[in-house]
Amino acid sequence: MSESTDTPAAPPADPVTERALAVLQAAIPDGVVAYELTGGHPWIQVRAEDLRAACWLLRDHADTKLDCCHLISGVDWPDAGEGGELEVVYHLCSFELKPEPGYGQRALKNDPWVALKVRVPRDPGEVPTVMDIWTGADWHERETWDLVGVRFTGRRELRRILLPDDWPGHPLRKDWEYPASYHGVPIIPPEGY
Amino acid sequence: MAERGPDLRSGGEPEGAVEIHERQEAVGRDLRTEEMVFNMGPQHPATHGVLRVAVRTDGEHVRALQPHVGNIHRCAEKIGESLPYYQWIPYLDRMDYLAAICNEHVGCMAIERLGGIEVPERAEYIRVIVAEVQRILSHLMAIGVYGLDLGAFTPFLHQFRERERGMDLLDHISGGRLLYHYIRIGGVKRDLSQDWLDELDAWTSEVERRMPEYNTLLLHNRVFQERTFRVGIIDRDTGVRWGVTGPGLRAAGVDWDCRRDAPYSIYDRFDFEVPYGASDIGGVLGDCFQRHWIRVREIEESLKIIRQAREQMPEGPVMGRVPKGFKPPAGEVYIRGENPRGELACYMVSAGKSDKAWRARCRGPSFSNIACITEIAEGQLIADLVAIIGSLDIVLGEVDR
Repeated sequence: MSESTDTPAAPPADPVTERALAVLQAAIPDGVVAYELTGGHPWIQVRAEDLRAACWLLRDHADTKLDCCHLISGVDWPDAGEGGELEVVYHLCSFELKPEPGYGQRALKNDPWVALKVRVPRDPGEVPTVMDIWTGADWHERETWDLVGVRFTGRRELRRILLPDDWPGHPLRKDWEYPASYHGVPIIPPEGY
Repeated sequence: MAERGPDLRSGGEPEGAVEIHERQEAVGRDLRTEEMVFNMGPQHPATHGVLRVAVRTDGEHVRALQPHVGNIHRCAEKIGESLPYYQWIPYLDRMDYLAAICNEHVGCMAIERLGGIEVPERAEYIRVIVAEVQRILSHLMAIGVYGLDLGAFTPFLHQFRERERGMDLLDHISGGRLLYHYIRIGGVKRDLSQDWLDELDAWTSEVERRMPEYNTLLLHNRVFQERTFRVGIIDRDTGVRWGVTGPGLRAAGVDWDCRRDAPYSIYDRFDFEVPYGASDIGGVLGDCFQRHWIRVREIEESLKIIRQAREQMPEGPVMGRVPKGFKPPAGEVYIRGENPRGELACYMVSAGKSDKAWRARCRGPSFSNIACITEIAEGQLIADLVAIIGSLDIVLGEVDR
């Protein structure tokens, strides 16, 4: 809001994420595991079993109306927890609720979206699908399965999308190794890999 | 009159017409139709790249279809976490090769915010100018090639004249014709000269002068309108549900543009309109014609932005301070920007203490835009399928990344 001052004041909380958090905490108090409201990338982490309830709420609640699933990304954290964790980040945005004028990436260093996170053990890495909540999540889920190996449950056919169907493993896992060859074609990993 | 035969000019029916019609209907009833599955692509001129669409048809109608992507997957995200940040920028160019500058812009903004790098004022203005030049070039291509898809060769050649001149402009400052690597982390590669700015002014007024000509060729062309009216309708609900962004969503009547509603860079300093679909333009809300119309209007708005940026642009350095061996602290960032095709978003995760990203994720607008054809093309004619894919203006480099 105010022009950047020299004294480091308490960073302002992101209003969109704050509203979403209030909605979630009112309806599923145990569901929210952790959250971060300030900084460049505010987020809310929910339990995997509450993910679908949280998504329905955020989509339909009058305060949030996050009607678009902008992006689903998988992040591999092999050293977290016991035996590693997979993080799935849902970036949700709303085309219904407009931000107030002047509220944008420059003013508050934030764009009006909400990042919803869920963390599951690396093996088996199962996350419930949100494809029936936002149809567009279909391809994003397939891509996340393809590259990171997050198994989305409760949806129809989870096929690879970018890589060939018989490709070994999920390349964006940190412990993925280049195969020696693919259908008889030798693969030379890049220098220093 | 009877002995001279039926008067066809007045719409009179030839003798026995009723009989013929009856017979035809009888044939239609008995004719067994069969569904057929065939591939459109991957080497089809109207799929704008290497897209394969498996189409199940019944006669001339599309019953169902499934796009198959990934033919030119080049591991952009894997490369993003295997290379230092600054080396990833050229790979962003190659995602959407028709809007390379816009990709660089978003990617650089994400990395800059991750590392807390300030960009000088003049560099921000230069970025906006080149990004808008790129948007005009991309839309000129989209409009021209759309005509080509529908069988109108002439507008395509006319628009390539202006496009070529615009690409020369970007060539002058970057040395590349299609892939520029001009926007760098912390600023831009080099400053704009006065000669270049003069040429920019000449080019913008030329584009402005030519736009009505193009519109006569295509937008106001009766044949073109007949081909695109009421075809491939994406309504608001469908568009938002599938994550369609950019002209595709605005044609559905959603008044949203990242540049105005969630301004990044310095877009909040410019005064421009956001065209969105309405029922009085022609066709119906969200059909192929309206998507085309939005692109035409956006070229005009981009010209406005370029002029304003040109006037406001201050003097100064064009490159900020970027530490050698740039290692941003641990954190994450999500930036989205308005590309010609929709919203490009960049999600970067840094684990800290490394010059490589932990995760570099990109949302290509075409990826979400093309996904929705499974729904909107159902029940349309095969010939209209080409019109629909063309009007979505996808770039397969970005779908497959």
